[in-house]
Amino acid sequence: MDKNGIPIITIESLKKDFRSLSVLDNISFAVGLGEFISIVGPSGCGKSTLLKIIGGILKPTSGSLKFKDTYSILNGEFGFVFQNPVLLPWRTLVENINLPLELLDKENYYNIPELIDILGLKGFEGYLPRQLSGGMQQRVALARALVFKPSVLLLDEPFGALDELTRDKMKYEVMEVCNKLSTTSIMVTHNIPEAVLMSDRVILLSERPAKIVKVFDIKLIKPRNHQIEISSEFITQVEEIRECL
Amino acid sequence: MWQFLVPLLQIKEYILPLPSSIAKAFYNDWGSLLKHTGITAFESFTGFLLANVVGFLLASILTNSESLKKAVMPYAIALKTTPIVAFAPILVIWFGSGIITKIFASALVCFFPILVNTIKGLTNIEQDYLNLFASFHTSKWRTFWNLRFPTAMPYIFSALKISTSLSVVGAIVGEFVGANQGLGYVILVSSYHLEIPLMFAAIILSALIGIFFYNIIVLLEREIIYWQESIDD
Repeated sequence: MDKNGIPIITIESLKKDFRSLSVLDNISFAVGLGEFISIVGPSGCGKSTLLKIIGGILKPTSGSLKFKDTYSILNGEFGFVFQNPVLLPWRTLVENINLPLELLDKENYYNIPELIDILGLKGFEGYLPRQLSGGMQQRVALARALVFKPSVLLLDEPFGALDELTRDKMKYEVMEVCNKLSTTSIMVTHNIPEAVLMSDRVILLSERPAKIVKVFDIKLIKPRNHQIEISSEFITQVEEIRECL
Repeated sequence: MWQFLVPLLQIKEYILPLPSSIAKAFYNDWGSLLKHTGITAFESFTGFLLANVVGFLLASILTNSESLKKAVMPYAIALKTTPIVAFAPILVIWFGSGIITKIFASALVCFFPILVNTIKGLTNIEQDYLNLFASFHTSKWRTFWNLRFPTAMPYIFSALKISTSLSVVGAIVGEFVGANQGLGYVILVSSYHLEIPLMFAAIILSALIGIFFYNIIVLLEREIIYWQESIDD
């Protein structure tokens, strides 16, 4: 199931019910170190629930989730980016990025000025969230998710609240940052072209209760740029996934 | 306008005194008025402080325990809808006619706004933020200080602003039911003697105490909640 050899996350026969409502049914897959995986599927199918289970926010009803060699939940291994920036309004940009370091007792973390520089936030360190644009707020959220060097970056429709132009720019920025920091990433989205562009593999889920319909290996060369989005391989790949939906 | 309309409409001095008579009452009795104002201000402020500290602490404890909250809240809401000033006579029986009774009367009317608002503020947290903190698996205590408490700040200040005027109401009512000092006492005694200008002077002073408290809280609010506009003005 995993092409990169070393699995960092192994999910086996995962099931999740909310009372009598079955949301996830028999989900199994593995994530390789440094891989970028997208989970796509119809809206309300339980994609976000799956991400929350992986990140340890929710517990599965049954099945197992193995992280590296352990089945227990490890703190400070998952960095979340949500659809909304979810910044603390009373904290400045740099204080927001620093939040995880105050809450987690982790000794190994990125140099904050460097991270701010990579994400193009230099010069805005002292700004409050309300003084920043939507795109910048989401970049702060990304920096906050990365600052404590998590093993896995979890992106829950990270561009959902952004306008089209910012969205277009941000997906390349996320790819570049993930590449630069060689982060393992799992992204939930309902945008198939976006998933194809950014991922090594795309996992397609069915309607609720969600099962894995198919896993697509995306063989487009890396690093990927705007040219790829108009190439015939790209369009064929997107169409192939759409047909299974 | 008041100064000219009152003689024009032939309103008697003991119904509505002239502003000049009120000014004269201020001038004649400023020493004792100042003393009574100080007493009422002290009672109001102490009651205000007591209610808000206890109310905030109780709210913090209640929001940490769902079962405790379920047990206490019905009583709190029942008490909240009771006109609290109706308790003033029993306070006299319990605590005598000294300053303690006025402080408790003032605290009693300030208590429910802070309790209810703090609970609302501490628990009214968007799910996204709870997920963010859950993703760090951080302690309840750290979530409280880094998320719940700052989020509740605007609600707390809203209650503090309401309490500023309520605290004076509480103290005055406390003085009405039995006192030998304070502005409530001055109002009551001057009504017996039909010294209406003096009575108005005392009413104006009690309003000024409330306005003074209110403005201090507004100033503090601007300093403390620098990240947003006030939620109720």
